[in-house]
Amino acid sequence: MEPNKTLEQIGTELPFKVPENYFDQFASQFEETIAAKKPRHITLRKKWMSIAAMFIGILVLGQLLYKLYDKQTVNKQDNYEAYVLMQVDEASLVDCYVNNSSK
Amino acid sequence: MTASETELQLQLKDSHKRAGAFSALVRLYQERLYWHIRKMVLSHEDANDVLQNTFMKGWNGLDNFRGDAQFSTWLYRIATNETLSFLSNKRLRNLQSLGSIEDNLLHNLQSDSHFIGNEAQLKLQKAILTLPEKQRLVFNMKYFEEITYDQMSEILETSSGALKASYHHAVKKIEKYFNEELD
Repeated sequence: MEPNKTLEQIGTELPFKVPENYFDQFASQFEETIAAKKPRHITLRKKWMSIAAMFIGILVLGQLLYKLYDKQTVNKQDNYEAYVLMQVDEASLVDCYVNNSSK
Repeated sequence: MTASETELQLQLKDSHKRAGAFSALVRLYQERLYWHIRKMVLSHEDANDVLQNTFMKGWNGLDNFRGDAQFSTWLYRIATNETLSFLSNKRLRNLQSLGSIEDNLLHNLQSDSHFIGNEAQLKLQKAILTLPEKQRLVFNMKYFEEITYDQMSEILETSSGALKASYHHAVKKIEKYFNEELD
Protein backbone atom coordinates (compact mmCIF):
# COMPACT_ATOMS: atom_id res chain seq x y z
CA MET A 1 0.00 0.00 0.00
CA GLU A 2 1.37 3.38 -1.01
CA PRO A 3 1.75 5.91 1.81
CA ASN A 4 -0.58 8.93 1.77
CA LYS A 5 0.86 11.78 -0.21
CA THR A 6 0.24 15.48 -0.15
CA LEU A 7 -1.23 17.32 -3.12
CA GLU A 8 2.22 18.60 -4.02
CA GLN A 9 3.64 15.10 -4.17
CA ILE A 10 0.76 13.79 -6.28
CA GLY A 11 1.26 16.55 -8.82
CA THR A 12 -1.10 18.01 -11.38
CA GLU A 13 -0.82 15.44 -14.14
CA LEU A 14 -4.20 14.08 -15.20
CA PRO A 15 -4.56 10.31 -14.81
CA PHE A 16 -6.71 9.89 -17.92
CA LYS A 17 -6.04 9.03 -21.53
CA VAL A 18 -8.06 9.34 -24.71
CA PRO A 19 -8.36 6.84 -27.60
CA GLU A 20 -5.72 7.23 -30.29
CA ASN A 21 -6.35 10.05 -32.81
CA TYR A 22 -9.44 11.01 -30.85
CA PHE A 23 -9.07 14.78 -31.33
CA ASP A 24 -8.37 14.55 -35.06
CA GLN A 25 -11.38 12.33 -35.55
CA PHE A 26 -13.58 14.49 -33.37
CA ALA A 27 -12.73 17.65 -35.32
CA SER A 28 -13.24 15.94 -38.71
CA GLN A 29 -16.58 14.46 -37.70
CA PHE A 30 -17.75 17.77 -36.33
CA GLU A 31 -16.68 19.52 -39.53
CA GLU A 32 -18.85 17.10 -41.54
CA THR A 33 -21.79 17.65 -39.22
CA ILE A 34 -21.75 21.42 -39.50
CA ALA A 35 -21.15 21.30 -43.24
CA ALA A 36 -24.52 19.58 -43.48
CA LYS A 37 -26.26 21.84 -40.95
CA LYS A 38 -26.43 25.60 -41.25
CA PRO A 39 -26.57 27.42 -37.90
CA ARG A 40 -30.08 28.35 -36.82
CA HIS A 41 -30.33 32.08 -36.87
CA ILE A 42 -33.18 34.48 -37.32
CA THR A 43 -32.32 36.89 -40.11
CA LEU A 44 -33.47 40.49 -40.15
CA ARG A 45 -35.82 39.68 -43.04
CA LYS A 46 -37.40 36.87 -41.05
CA LYS A 47 -37.89 39.22 -38.11
CA TRP A 48 -39.66 41.78 -40.33
CA MET A 49 -41.78 39.04 -41.86
CA SER A 50 -42.96 37.88 -38.44
CA ILE A 51 -43.78 41.47 -37.40
CA ALA A 52 -45.76 41.99 -40.66
CA ALA A 53 -47.60 38.69 -40.13
CA MET A 54 -48.52 39.81 -36.62
CA PHE A 55 -49.99 43.11 -37.94
CA ILE A 56 -51.97 41.30 -40.64
CA GLY A 57 -53.31 38.97 -37.95
CA ILE A 58 -54.39 41.91 -35.81
CA LEU A 59 -56.11 43.57 -38.82
CA VAL A 60 -58.00 40.38 -39.77
CA LEU A 61 -59.09 39.82 -36.18
CA GLY A 62 -60.16 43.48 -35.90
CA GLN A 63 -62.19 43.20 -39.10
CA LEU A 64 -63.92 40.05 -37.86
CA LEU A 65 -64.77 41.61 -34.51
CA TYR A 66 -66.09 44.75 -36.22
CA LYS A 67 -68.34 42.69 -38.53
CA LEU A 68 -69.68 40.77 -35.57
CA TYR A 69 -70.41 44.00 -33.69
CA ASP A 70 -72.05 45.54 -36.79
CA LYS A 71 -74.28 42.51 -37.28
CA GLN A 72 -75.38 42.65 -33.67
CA THR A 73 -76.24 46.36 -34.02
CA VAL A 74 -78.35 45.67 -37.17
CA ASN A 75 -80.08 42.86 -35.35
CA LYS A 76 -80.82 45.20 -32.45
CA GLN A 77 -82.29 47.77 -34.88
CA ASP A 78 -84.44 45.08 -36.59
CA ASN A 79 -85.66 43.86 -33.22
CA TYR A 80 -86.53 47.40 -32.14
CA GLU A 81 -88.54 48.01 -35.32
CA ALA A 82 -90.44 44.75 -34.85
CA TYR A 83 -91.07 45.65 -31.22
CA VAL A 84 -92.50 49.07 -32.12
CA LEU A 85 -94.68 47.60 -34.85
CA MET A 86 -96.05 45.04 -32.40
CA GLN A 87 -97.34 47.84 -30.17
CA VAL A 88 -99.42 49.40 -32.97
CA ASP A 89 -102.71 47.87 -34.09
CA GLU A 90 -103.47 47.31 -37.82
CA ALA A 91 -106.13 50.05 -38.09
CA SER A 92 -103.69 52.71 -36.83
CA LEU A 93 -101.04 51.46 -39.26
CA VAL A 94 -103.44 51.69 -42.25
CA ASP A 95 -104.47 55.14 -41.03
CA CYS A 96 -100.85 56.20 -40.87
CA TYR A 97 -100.06 54.91 -44.42
CA VAL A 98 -103.21 56.64 -45.88
CA ASN A 99 -102.30 59.93 -44.21
CA ASN A 100 -98.68 59.73 -45.47
CA SER A 101 -99.73 58.98 -49.07
CA SER A 102 -102.32 61.77 -49.14
CA LYS A 103 -99.74 64.41 -48.04
CA MET B 1 -5.77 35.93 -27.86
CA THR B 2 -3.60 35.36 -30.94
CA ALA B 3 -4.00 37.18 -34.28
CA SER B 4 -5.41 34.05 -35.89
CA GLU B 5 -8.03 33.71 -33.15
CA THR B 6 -9.10 37.32 -33.72
CA GLU B 7 -9.21 36.72 -37.47
CA LEU B 8 -11.29 33.54 -37.03
CA GLN B 9 -13.71 35.37 -34.75
CA LEU B 10 -14.17 38.04 -37.42
CA GLN B 11 -14.76 35.37 -40.07
CA LEU B 12 -17.64 33.97 -38.00
CA LYS B 13 -19.64 37.06 -39.00
CA ASP B 14 -19.22 36.25 -42.70
CA SER B 15 -21.79 33.62 -43.70
CA HIS B 16 -19.50 32.21 -46.42
CA LYS B 17 -16.53 31.75 -44.10
CA ARG B 18 -18.50 30.86 -40.99
CA ALA B 19 -18.35 27.05 -41.15
CA GLY B 20 -14.62 27.04 -41.95
CA ALA B 21 -13.81 29.48 -39.16
CA PHE B 22 -15.88 27.55 -36.64
CA SER B 23 -14.18 24.27 -37.60
CA ALA B 24 -10.79 25.92 -37.08
CA LEU B 25 -11.92 27.17 -33.67
CA VAL B 26 -13.11 23.65 -32.78
CA ARG B 27 -9.62 22.34 -33.57
CA LEU B 28 -8.12 25.13 -31.49
CA TYR B 29 -10.22 24.70 -28.34
CA GLN B 30 -11.35 21.05 -28.40
CA GLU B 31 -8.55 19.68 -26.21
CA ARG B 32 -8.88 22.34 -23.52
CA LEU B 33 -12.65 21.95 -23.39
CA TYR B 34 -12.45 18.15 -23.47
CA TRP B 35 -10.22 18.05 -20.38
CA HIS B 36 -12.37 20.68 -18.66
CA ILE B 37 -15.38 18.37 -19.12
CA ARG B 38 -13.55 15.07 -18.58
CA LYS B 39 -12.33 16.10 -15.11
CA MET B 40 -15.95 16.51 -14.06
CA VAL B 41 -17.65 13.54 -15.75
CA LEU B 42 -14.56 11.28 -15.54
CA SER B 43 -15.56 8.83 -18.30
CA HIS B 44 -14.30 9.36 -21.85
CA GLU B 45 -17.65 8.43 -23.45
CA ASP B 46 -19.55 10.96 -21.35
CA ALA B 47 -16.92 13.66 -21.98
CA ASN B 48 -17.20 13.00 -25.73
CA ASP B 49 -21.01 13.41 -25.62
CA VAL B 50 -20.83 16.63 -23.61
CA LEU B 51 -18.10 18.04 -25.88
CA GLN B 52 -20.24 17.38 -28.96
CA ASN B 53 -23.24 19.06 -27.34
CA THR B 54 -21.04 22.01 -26.37
CA PHE B 55 -19.83 22.68 -29.91
CA MET B 56 -23.26 22.04 -31.38
CA LYS B 57 -24.79 24.58 -28.99
CA GLY B 58 -22.01 27.01 -29.87
CA TRP B 59 -22.63 26.52 -33.60
CA ASN B 60 -26.40 26.93 -33.31
CA GLY B 61 -26.09 29.88 -30.98
CA LEU B 62 -23.40 31.84 -32.85
CA ASP B 63 -25.74 34.83 -33.12
CA ASN B 64 -25.83 35.00 -29.31
CA PHE B 65 -22.07 35.55 -29.19
CA ARG B 66 -21.88 39.31 -28.86
CA GLY B 67 -18.11 39.54 -28.73
CA ASP B 68 -18.02 41.26 -25.32
CA ALA B 69 -16.07 38.24 -23.97
CA GLN B 70 -13.42 36.14 -25.65
CA PHE B 71 -14.76 33.33 -27.84
CA SER B 72 -12.93 30.77 -25.69
CA THR B 73 -14.59 32.17 -22.54
CA TRP B 74 -17.99 31.89 -24.23
CA LEU B 75 -17.28 28.26 -25.20
CA TYR B 76 -16.02 27.49 -21.69
CA ARG B 77 -19.31 28.82 -20.29
CA ILE B 78 -21.32 26.59 -22.62
CA ALA B 79 -19.12 23.58 -21.74
CA THR B 80 -19.55 24.26 -18.02
CA ASN B 81 -23.33 24.56 -18.30
CA GLU B 82 -23.53 21.42 -20.44
CA THR B 83 -21.39 19.50 -17.94
CA LEU B 84 -23.46 20.60 -14.95
CA SER B 85 -26.75 19.80 -16.68
CA PHE B 86 -25.36 16.41 -17.78
CA LEU B 87 -24.48 15.64 -14.14
CA SER B 88 -27.84 16.82 -12.85
CA ASN B 89 -29.65 14.63 -15.43
CA LYS B 90 -27.47 11.72 -14.36
CA ARG B 91 -28.38 12.47 -10.75
CA LEU B 92 -32.09 12.41 -11.63
CA ARG B 93 -31.73 9.09 -13.45
CA ASN B 94 -29.75 7.79 -10.48
CA LEU B 95 -32.47 8.61 -7.91
CA GLN B 96 -33.81 5.07 -7.83
CA SER B 97 -30.44 3.41 -7.26
CA LEU B 98 -28.97 3.08 -3.80
CA GLY B 99 -25.60 4.76 -4.29
CA SER B 100 -24.95 8.42 -5.06
CA ILE B 101 -23.86 9.63 -8.47
CA GLU B 102 -20.36 10.21 -7.02
CA ASP B 103 -20.18 6.53 -6.00
CA ASN B 104 -21.29 5.67 -9.49
CA LEU B 105 -18.62 7.88 -11.09
CA LEU B 106 -15.94 6.42 -8.85
CA HIS B 107 -17.02 2.84 -9.54
CA ASN B 108 -16.90 3.49 -13.30
CA LEU B 109 -13.52 5.20 -12.98
CA GLN B 110 -11.95 2.20 -11.24
CA SER B 111 -12.97 -0.09 -14.08
CA ASP B 112 -12.27 2.43 -16.87
CA SER B 113 -9.58 1.35 -19.32
CA HIS B 114 -8.89 5.05 -20.02
CA PHE B 115 -7.88 5.68 -16.39
CA ILE B 116 -4.12 5.38 -16.12
CA GLY B 117 -3.52 6.80 -12.64
CA ASN B 118 -1.63 5.24 -9.74
CA GLU B 119 -3.09 4.65 -6.27
CA ALA B 120 -2.35 8.18 -5.06
CA GLN B 121 -4.01 9.71 -8.11
CA LEU B 122 -7.07 7.52 -7.63
CA LYS B 123 -7.21 8.65 -4.00
CA LEU B 124 -7.07 12.26 -5.15
CA GLN B 125 -10.00 11.64 -7.52
CA LYS B 126 -11.91 10.08 -4.61
CA ALA B 127 -11.17 13.12 -2.46
CA ILE B 128 -12.26 15.50 -5.25
CA LEU B 129 -15.54 13.61 -5.56
CA THR B 130 -16.35 14.43 -1.93
CA LEU B 131 -16.51 18.14 -2.83
CA PRO B 132 -19.77 19.84 -3.83
CA GLU B 133 -20.11 20.06 -7.63
CA LYS B 134 -19.34 23.77 -8.03
CA GLN B 135 -16.34 23.53 -5.69
CA ARG B 136 -15.13 20.52 -7.68
CA LEU B 137 -15.30 22.66 -10.77
CA VAL B 138 -13.26 25.44 -9.16
CA PHE B 139 -10.70 23.02 -7.75
CA ASN B 140 -10.20 21.24 -11.09
CA MET B 141 -9.85 24.48 -13.01
CA LYS B 142 -7.28 25.89 -10.62
CA TYR B 143 -5.36 22.77 -9.70
CA PHE B 144 -5.10 20.96 -13.05
CA GLU B 145 -5.63 23.70 -15.62
CA GLU B 146 -3.99 26.54 -13.67
CA ILE B 147 -6.59 28.99 -14.93
CA THR B 148 -6.21 32.40 -13.30
CA TYR B 149 -8.90 33.59 -10.92
CA ASP B 150 -9.70 36.45 -13.29
CA GLN B 151 -10.30 34.09 -16.22
CA MET B 152 -12.26 31.75 -13.98
CA SER B 153 -14.31 34.68 -12.76
CA GLU B 154 -15.32 35.49 -16.36
CA ILE B 155 -16.21 31.88 -17.15
CA LEU B 156 -18.14 31.11 -13.98
CA GLU B 157 -19.48 34.67 -13.56
CA THR B 158 -18.45 34.66 -9.90
CA SER B 159 -16.16 37.13 -8.12
CA SER B 160 -12.45 36.31 -7.89
CA GLY B 161 -12.63 36.63 -4.10
CA ALA B 162 -15.35 34.00 -3.83
CA LEU B 163 -13.42 31.67 -6.15
CA LYS B 164 -10.22 32.07 -4.10
CA ALA B 165 -12.11 31.25 -0.92
CA SER B 166 -13.78 28.26 -2.58
CA TYR B 167 -10.44 26.87 -3.84
CA HIS B 168 -8.76 27.38 -0.48
CA HIS B 169 -11.63 25.58 1.24
CA ALA B 170 -11.46 22.72 -1.29
CA VAL B 171 -7.73 22.21 -0.67
CA LYS B 172 -8.35 22.07 3.09
CA LYS B 173 -11.09 19.45 2.62
CA ILE B 174 -8.86 17.32 0.39
CA GLU B 175 -5.99 17.49 2.87
CA LYS B 176 -8.41 16.53 5.63
CA TYR B 177 -9.59 13.59 3.53
CA PHE B 178 -5.98 12.44 3.08
CA ASN B 179 -5.28 12.76 6.81
CA GLU B 180 -8.40 10.80 7.73
CA GLU B 181 -7.40 8.06 5.31
CA LEU B 182 -4.00 7.90 7.05
CA ASP B 183 -5.53 7.48 10.52
